[in-house]
Amino acid sequence: MKNLIRLGTATLLMGSWLWAASIDESRGSLVRVRASIQPYDQFRPWQKKAPFGLNGTGIVLPGGKVLATAALVENRTEVGLEKPGSAEKCAAEVEAIDYEANLALLRPTDAKFLQGFAGVKMGPALRPGDTAQVWQLDKNGEMLRNQAEVLSAGVGRYPADEAGFLVYGVRVSLPKRDDSYTLPMMRDGMLVGMMMGYDRDSQEGTAIPVPMIEHFLKDALDGKYEGFPTLGVSWTSLRDPNLREEFRAPKSGGILLTRVNPRGTAGRAGLKEGDVLLSVDGFVLDEDGNYQDSLYGPTSVGNLIRTRPIVGSPAKFHLSRDGKELDLTGTYDRRARDEIAIPTLQFDVAPRYVVIGGLVFQELTGAYLQEWGDKWSERAPQRLVQLFSFQQEMNLDPTKKIVFLSQVLPSSITMGYLQLSGLVLSKLNGQEIDGLKSLAALADGANEGNLVFEFTDNPRRIVLDAAEVKAMGDKLGKDYGLPALRRL
Amino acid sequence: MKSSGFPSLGRVSSGKEDRQKIGLVWVLFMVKDDWMTFWTKLFTLAMMGLGLAGCGRDEQLREARRNVVMVEVTSQTWDYRLPWNPGTVSSARGAGFVIEGKRILTNAHVISGARNITVQREADPRKYPGKVLYVAHDCDLALLEVEDPEFFKGTTVLPIGDIPELESVVSVYGFPIGGDRLSVTRGVVSRIDYNSYTHSGRESHLAIQIDAAINPGNSGGPVMQDDKVVGVAFQGFRGDVAQNVGYMIPTPVIRRFLKDVEDGHYDHYVDIAIRWMTLENHAMRKYLKRPDDGLGVVVTDIFSEGSSDGVLKNGDVLLSIDGHPIESDGSVRLEGQPVQMEEIVERKFAGDTVLLEVWRQEKLEKLSLTLRPAEMFSMYESLYEEAPRYVLYGGLVFQPLTANLMAVLMGSADLRLRQTYSMFGQDQLYQETPEPVVLTSILPDPLNVYLRGLAGQVVREINGRKIRTLADVLPALEAGQERTVILFQGDQRPAVLKNRDVDKAMPRLMAQYGIAEASRTDLGNRRLAKGFFQKADSK
Repeated sequence: MKNLIRLGTATLLMGSWLWAASIDESRGSLVRVRASIQPYDQFRPWQKKAPFGLNGTGIVLPGGKVLATAALVENRTEVGLEKPGSAEKCAAEVEAIDYEANLALLRPTDAKFLQGFAGVKMGPALRPGDTAQVWQLDKNGEMLRNQAEVLSAGVGRYPADEAGFLVYGVRVSLPKRDDSYTLPMMRDGMLVGMMMGYDRDSQEGTAIPVPMIEHFLKDALDGKYEGFPTLGVSWTSLRDPNLREEFRAPKSGGILLTRVNPRGTAGRAGLKEGDVLLSVDGFVLDEDGNYQDSLYGPTSVGNLIRTRPIVGSPAKFHLSRDGKELDLTGTYDRRARDEIAIPTLQFDVAPRYVVIGGLVFQELTGAYLQEWGDKWSERAPQRLVQLFSFQQEMNLDPTKKIVFLSQVLPSSITMGYLQLSGLVLSKLNGQEIDGLKSLAALADGANEGNLVFEFTDNPRRIVLDAAEVKAMGDKLGKDYGLPALRRL
Repeated sequence: MKSSGFPSLGRVSSGKEDRQKIGLVWVLFMVKDDWMTFWTKLFTLAMMGLGLAGCGRDEQLREARRNVVMVEVTSQTWDYRLPWNPGTVSSARGAGFVIEGKRILTNAHVISGARNITVQREADPRKYPGKVLYVAHDCDLALLEVEDPEFFKGTTVLPIGDIPELESVVSVYGFPIGGDRLSVTRGVVSRIDYNSYTHSGRESHLAIQIDAAINPGNSGGPVMQDDKVVGVAFQGFRGDVAQNVGYMIPTPVIRRFLKDVEDGHYDHYVDIAIRWMTLENHAMRKYLKRPDDGLGVVVTDIFSEGSSDGVLKNGDVLLSIDGHPIESDGSVRLEGQPVQMEEIVERKFAGDTVLLEVWRQEKLEKLSLTLRPAEMFSMYESLYEEAPRYVLYGGLVFQPLTANLMAVLMGSADLRLRQTYSMFGQDQLYQETPEPVVLTSILPDPLNVYLRGLAGQVVREINGRKIRTLADVLPALEAGQERTVILFQGDQRPAVLKNRDVDKAMPRLMAQYGIAEASRTDLGNRRLAKGFFQKADSK
């Protein structure tokens, strides 16, 4: 129910304890992935931050493509593959990436690079108590195989996701080898999961289960990646008998929908706030929102909605409304997640901005707010935090972007405005602003007269002289060394 | 490059913002017993060698020794987490001095929450019980009286002077840590400017910075120059933040306080209740058709229910206030000194008028404002005397949102609650909800076992009735027939309770948690100043 933006990427760790090392047939299934990472600087949207390199492990799939975590390659400038035990390298393209599910599919630019690699097949889904091995490449290209045990299987949080996916809790002792713990979890020579996080102190980590990986690969197969569907609801447990009575829920089971996004899968199927959702696609939900999974036992409805169906598959809901039971049908999609005024997740997307006579305007994104650090919700301008965090209930129009004044570059024409920042722009010369493009077009069109900027908050209105803005032209960019005065 | 985004705040703003801007740690100069260890460590050396010797101003010293008194206070601080409890008792020491009318002037923070006050003079070993006559938390001043006439034997009166010159020498008298007898330190006037008065949490008034060593225990003591009081020492920075930065309340503020109480009660400061922006940008000036004469500021926000509501308009250019031209940075000249234009308003009282010259739609207009306190922002003021209000229902504790409550919740408050608090003034939420009510905690009981996740939520409705203040809560609860349905802001689930179950549970809950009263809603949310000390005294 909470809106979270992602706060971290893969855990980077130090360690030296080594469990086992042997050379065997498993060579030919792993490659090193070397990525140069350079995130955008949200506070200086015209530039990128200092670059750094990340090394991880990629899993070679039959057919010569490579599976890695999204966290390993997001915000990359380039990605390369390297054969273990040799210096043979090849550049790679990212063919499909899912930041939410933390998965990426890489394709070597040289189709022959992975010739001779057999590739790894998908193994079975695991249950708690099952054992597996976590494979790791040593410096010399040899394989370390670390004994692992699945402690739990349930819906949990992924680093860049807000709702939750199926995740394995794993106990394993991993020595530090590369910068990342993106490592395959294997059983009988087949892939059963992919490690994505690891805590050296507790020697516990999380792994992406194979059903997630299969979903991802299936989706990526046609070259058009769509992602995992969402329902677009907030819900709460219905254990409280008083609450059940209030919403006239049947004797047992079901969850209460506290918010339904009208654009989402559930909303378009006709579900409403206050409905008691009793079953999804024939799977009966208990009071805590769990269905009975044939493999994992009671599992959160999140897995049912997101991992099992793909975008476009039919959805069936059985619910109770005002004490009467009814059935509704719809189609799974991601619109509740994708059609949103202020995007929560954004990687590999350059921040947009336009500089007008020293006033720097940006489009509000979760990535911008995240730049304020762990305490972004306290530190970032409160109006921006409010719009982002409560955009659902404020019913922000997803086709309109929030444009805000992020800072003012001192110049002869911005005197008196220098302290302004974090202000949402509503109008320029009386025209509503629904994105940076319309703002730039309006500003470009004004050759003389005033540019009157109106904000939703104090100081409400500031003015620049259009002719002076034009005359200032590129001087501002030169003075401050900006490569460009806009990125639309 | 990043700031909270409000360029030129008028005087009205939440205290939180101001403090964030300053970003420094304040302390009030009062010795708290539990601070002693810490302070002694920090200040013992600094205090050594400073005594009464070396002060060559015999007359001033003699007068100070006669009239500066030690004020010892036992006070009680309410616990906003457990609002039914009487709070914790602590003792502290400050200073005060005798002024005309056999009254003792000291800081409000020295005597706030006082349950027992004693005053003592240098020349007399006896401790006399003192009583609060008036207190002004907004400007951190208080007047005490001592019934026993013996106390005043040998006292004269310390006369109140004017604003001292920059760099002129002043002496600070008081009873700071390091000993029990009167201490004096000297320094110069470093700065005369507006500053936060931290005791109230939201007020800013004129304050004078001095570099004399002033330390915990100096609070309420006089700062003197040429036999006259030129200020009351009251706050400063902790040693790990800044050195030799102490502040005194200047005489215009003192005089205002003394004049205010002449009619038998203290009223709050008045406020023009606007936000304004400097008018330094020439394109903006041209747009507003103002010549480049360096004068005027632009009104950007008018707070409803405030003094300017219905008189000023957004976009008005304020050109002069009571005949003083307003510079484009918002300052006026007063007695030759540049001060913020609010200083004109500062010296006035509720019901007084202020004359403004306003440039509106390219015409000059003369407007008159009748001043009143900015009551709608009282939520941001720290409360000292009034007991915390609450309603207990089935283990659910409802409390009004106050600065005191936020101070104890701050770390754990969720985003919605924090936003309700921080946007309350800016978005004028007080019009809809003068006093947001929070479900602050849930005392565990079988009755509320499913409700515990709801603690910290802002209440929207109870049994179909909008909750605008805490006073709405009890009648709304009583309106429930069989069940009570509580709705919250946002997409939280409602809380539903069966009234029969609650009736059964209440005696059990109150016994278990040691709560004598199920609610305390009698006091209004503001300005009990007129009557409350009579109340406090009768306790």
